[in-house]
Amino acid sequence: MELEETAKQHYTDAEKQHVFDNEFMPHINAMYNFAYRLTLDQDDSKDLVQDTYLKAYRFIDSFQQGTNAKAWLFRILKNSFINDYRKKSKEPSKVDYQEVESYYNSEEVDRQITPDLRVEALKDMIGDEISNALNALDVDFRTVIILSDLEGFKYDEMAKILDIPIGTVRSRLHRARNLLKEKLSEYAKQMGYKTA
Amino acid sequence: MSIPDKSHMKQDCANKRECMEMLQLIVDGEATPEQKEHFMKHHLEECLPCYNNYHLEVAVRQMLKSKCSGDCAPQELVDSIKAKVIRNLAS
Repeated sequence: MELEETAKQHYTDAEKQHVFDNEFMPHINAMYNFAYRLTLDQDDSKDLVQDTYLKAYRFIDSFQQGTNAKAWLFRILKNSFINDYRKKSKEPSKVDYQEVESYYNSEEVDRQITPDLRVEALKDMIGDEISNALNALDVDFRTVIILSDLEGFKYDEMAKILDIPIGTVRSRLHRARNLLKEKLSEYAKQMGYKTA
Repeated sequence: MSIPDKSHMKQDCANKRECMEMLQLIVDGEATPEQKEHFMKHHLEECLPCYNNYHLEVAVRQMLKSKCSGDCAPQELVDSIKAKVIRNLAS
């Protein structure tokens, strides 16, 4: 799968319409959900999706028919989000990602205690706790969980979508999942569960 | 996977770090078949913390998928995008 600029295609209008309808539009639900999780705002997410699709159309000659359209579109959406919407978002990034990477490689990992969370408590949660826990994560941590667990992208696809090395994808996922479990563990305690 | 006898399992994992990494690879579908077989068939049967962590990871993913997959894009959004693209082509 190539996300780098491939040799420019030269589609006819009919071909463009075909690619757009058959390879781009089918991903609109996934795109909308991703946009919503990024912006946490319904109007912004609609605008973001529309902007992304119009950009995708404008740059359609950079897309090679039959290749990984979903990853290509997600990359455009993520870049549009960073360029146009992230400044508007209510949450300035408070995470030092340098620290995340070195943490993962350090001795700390061996001493780390996995958050107390039991499968039983988890299964008793209604949808809101999971959704809220996901939304409570910093946007970059939320993003990797969405791309991996909800959209099924592989590490190499995520690396290209996010413009980061695969090692960073893995360490960020690891940290994001622990943060998510910590949050869920808090909810479980509030619900009165004894921890493991 | 058969449910192992927990009383005979190790209560502590000697390779915590390697196991956490392997667990993530396996659940993400990035492990080789050999890695997966070794971990699932041998290690999980004898190591209680890893056994628990594996099931927790799987359960979290299932919850995410079933509760957070979200709604369909609104029809008016779909229509608006299609209309704009057609206008572009026509112009």
